[in-house]
Amino acid sequence: MKKIKFRADILPLKNELYRLALRITLNPAEAEDVVQETMIKVWNRRDKWDEIESIDAFCLTICRNIALDKMRKMENQNTSLEDGHDAPDSSYASNPEEQAMQQDRIQLVRRLINNLPEKQRSVMQLRDFEGKSYKEIAQIMAISEEQVKINIFRARQTIRQKFEQTENYGL
Amino acid sequence: MDYKYIEQLLERYWEGETTLQEEHILRTFFSQPEIPEEFQKFQALFICQQEKEEVLGDDFDARILEMTGETEPKKAKIVVLASRLKPLFKAAAIVAIILTLGNAAQAPWNYGWDNPQDEYAKFHQQKEDSVNMLSPIQAENVTDSLLAPNSDDPKYYE
Repeated sequence: MKKIKFRADILPLKNELYRLALRITLNPAEAEDVVQETMIKVWNRRDKWDEIESIDAFCLTICRNIALDKMRKMENQNTSLEDGHDAPDSSYASNPEEQAMQQDRIQLVRRLINNLPEKQRSVMQLRDFEGKSYKEIAQIMAISEEQVKINIFRARQTIRQKFEQTENYGL
Repeated sequence: MDYKYIEQLLERYWEGETTLQEEHILRTFFSQPEIPEEFQKFQALFICQQEKEEVLGDDFDARILEMTGETEPKKAKIVVLASRLKPLFKAAAIVAIILTLGNAAQAPWNYGWDNPQDEYAKFHQQKEDSVNMLSPIQAENVTDSLLAPNSDDPKYYE
């Protein structure tokens, strides 16, 4: 097995970690903190790198755990998670530009995904955005592959329903 | 065009039964500019999935590396003897040039730029000296050989 180097193998994961952290915390500043903490934590365990099967999964696991910790702390401080959310945007109806509508739709998708429960959100992030296999996701989230599939299914079903709904109300 | 295949894929996507490859096909399909109307409502979802924010830049790297105490990579530099001695060679070359130029400049300084007339006189003086320095015998021979034809010439006595 090749030797893992912090600079070449772990540091380039930063944006992937950031996207996952952002998906969980829904707060860019928090997400950056999470990635930073993740990096430090991974660095501190550098003597164990060679025993790790997949350094990507290892980093993502740590990242998710730190992000979840942060979330819990944020809840303790009674900060509403809704703070980070944009208010539902009703301006799209008045915008005739097709492109702007597309942008609005993308915004809507983001909101839909971010409104999912954390597990579904994370699973969707790893699968649909980062293109990970069910096995990898199971490893990262420390759940069974079955659980991963169930979460993916629920997430996609919810998205689909929401889509159909907004479609019916005329987007 | 037949979109049955895409329709099937999409249906299986909702059910969570697509493979990574099939999901990739879906994303590629939805990133086309022109797609049939019935699929347009889902386009945003797949476009959204392809947007990957690259927020953390080099300053983040620098901060992390500082924290971990990993400074700039120490690249193994191959030091060749010649390249190590290069400054020395340069210095030597400069010294050599100065010496050469110095020597070249020495000549005019030695001979100086005195009055040309004096120089001319001095030069002739030197020539005479050099003639005087010839051995007396040689000098006699020279005079003899010069005089001989004259004295032997019969016309001379006529």
